[in-house]
Amino acid sequence: MPFNLFKEKAQENPAVIKHWRKNPKSIEKYQFVYNFLPNPDKKRRASLISNKAVFIYCSLIVIVTLAFRIIPKFAPGVLGYASNINVKDLLEYTNGKREEVGLSDLKLNSKLTLAAQEKAADMFKDGYWAHVAPDGAEPWDFILAQNYDYIYAGENLAKNFSTSKEVVEAWYKSPSHKSNLLGANYDEVGFAVVNGVLNGYETTLVVQMFGRPREPSMVASVYEEESVLKESVNNSTLEPVKGSQTSALESSSFSPSTVVSTPKVDMTLAAKSISLAFGGFVGSLLAIDMWYSRKKGINKFTGQTFAHIIILIVVIISVWFVLQPGIVL
Amino acid sequence: MMEDIKEHFVEYVALLIGMAVFVVLLVIYRFDKDALLIISGVGSAFYVAWGILHYVLRKRLTRTIVYEYVLFGILVFLLLFTVLSI
Repeated sequence: MPFNLFKEKAQENPAVIKHWRKNPKSIEKYQFVYNFLPNPDKKRRASLISNKAVFIYCSLIVIVTLAFRIIPKFAPGVLGYASNINVKDLLEYTNGKREEVGLSDLKLNSKLTLAAQEKAADMFKDGYWAHVAPDGAEPWDFILAQNYDYIYAGENLAKNFSTSKEVVEAWYKSPSHKSNLLGANYDEVGFAVVNGVLNGYETTLVVQMFGRPREPSMVASVYEEESVLKESVNNSTLEPVKGSQTSALESSSFSPSTVVSTPKVDMTLAAKSISLAFGGFVGSLLAIDMWYSRKKGINKFTGQTFAHIIILIVVIISVWFVLQPGIVL
Repeated sequence: MMEDIKEHFVEYVALLIGMAVFVVLLVIYRFDKDALLIISGVGSAFYVAWGILHYVLRKRLTRTIVYEYVLFGILVFLLLFTVLSI
C-alpha cells in the first residue's frame, strides 16, 4: 500500500497512528512495495531499478562473464557449445552456394577429408585455433601428408556453431572464406567435424579443405563420393566426445557423419539466458514504473523511462534473434 | 510521456533512427565478432550521449541523470557482451 494512502487512512481514523507507533514493523512491511513501484513521496523509481540496483546488476553480469572464463581452467569440458553438424549438409550447402553463381559442384574427396580430420585432431592435441600450427605446420602439409598432389588448395575453419547451415552462412558472409567457398579453381573438398575440448571448452571444430588435383583424372569419382557419404550415413550419429583430446581423435577417425555435441552447460543457452533475464527483469520493472507513474500522476526526477524500455527491447531482440555463437577463421 | 515525445519529436526520431541503424549493423555483421563488439560499444555510447543531450537541451541535466544514462549504457553493452564474449 503506497505511503500516501497511509496518510489518508490516518486522517480518517487517528487510532491508526497509535497503532503504527506501537507496531512500526507494520509500516515497514508496506514499504516493501516500493522495491517494485515508484515512490510518490520521494519521487523516485522503484528501488530495484534505482541507479544503485543497476550498478549491482552490471557487477553481477561482469562476475558471471568472468566465471565463464575461469571455470574451464578448473573444470575442462563442463562448459561447451551444443551442436548438430552434418557433413552431408555441409557439402550440400557449400555446393548450393556455388550453384547460385553458376559454378560446378565440389566432389567429396577421401584424401582431403582425411587431411581435414588430421588438422582438426592436431588443433585439439596442441590446443590451438589457427591455420598455421604452433610447430609451423601449414594446411598444405596436412594435404600433402595424405599424398594428395594438388595445384590449388585452400582451408576454411569454424568452431562453436550449432548447425551446418550456420557454418556455411558464416563462411559465405566473410570475404576471404567466401573466395574459397566460391573458388573456381577447386574441384574437390574434404570436411572434418570433430568434437573435443579446446582450451577448456567442449566444442565442435569444422575443417573444410579444398583442392584441385594435379592430374584431372584424379578428381574424385561419383563412386568415391558416395562411399564417403555412405560411411557417414552408416555412422549417422557419433557419441559426443568428452574429456581427452585423444578420444576425440580416435572416435572421429574418418567418420564424416553427423556430430552431436551436448555439453553439461551449453554456453550459448547460459549466456543468452543471463542476458535475457537481466534485460527482461529491468525492462519489466521500467514498464511497471511507467504505467504506475502515469496512473498515479507521479512526476519523478529521473531519465526517460520510455527510452530505457525501447533500448532494452532492442537489446533483447538482438540477443535472442541476431547474435549467435561461432567463429570462422 | 506522449506530450514529451510530441514536444521533442526530432530527438526521439534521432533515437529511433540510431536504434534501427544499430539493429541493421548487428544483422549485417552478425558473423564478425570484432565488428559486433565495436557496434555494441558505439551503440551504447550513442544512447548515453542521446540521454545526456536530451536533458542538456531542456536545461535539466543533473549528476544523477548522467549516472543513470551511463549505468544504462553500461548495462546495455554488458547484456550484448555476455553473448558476444562466448
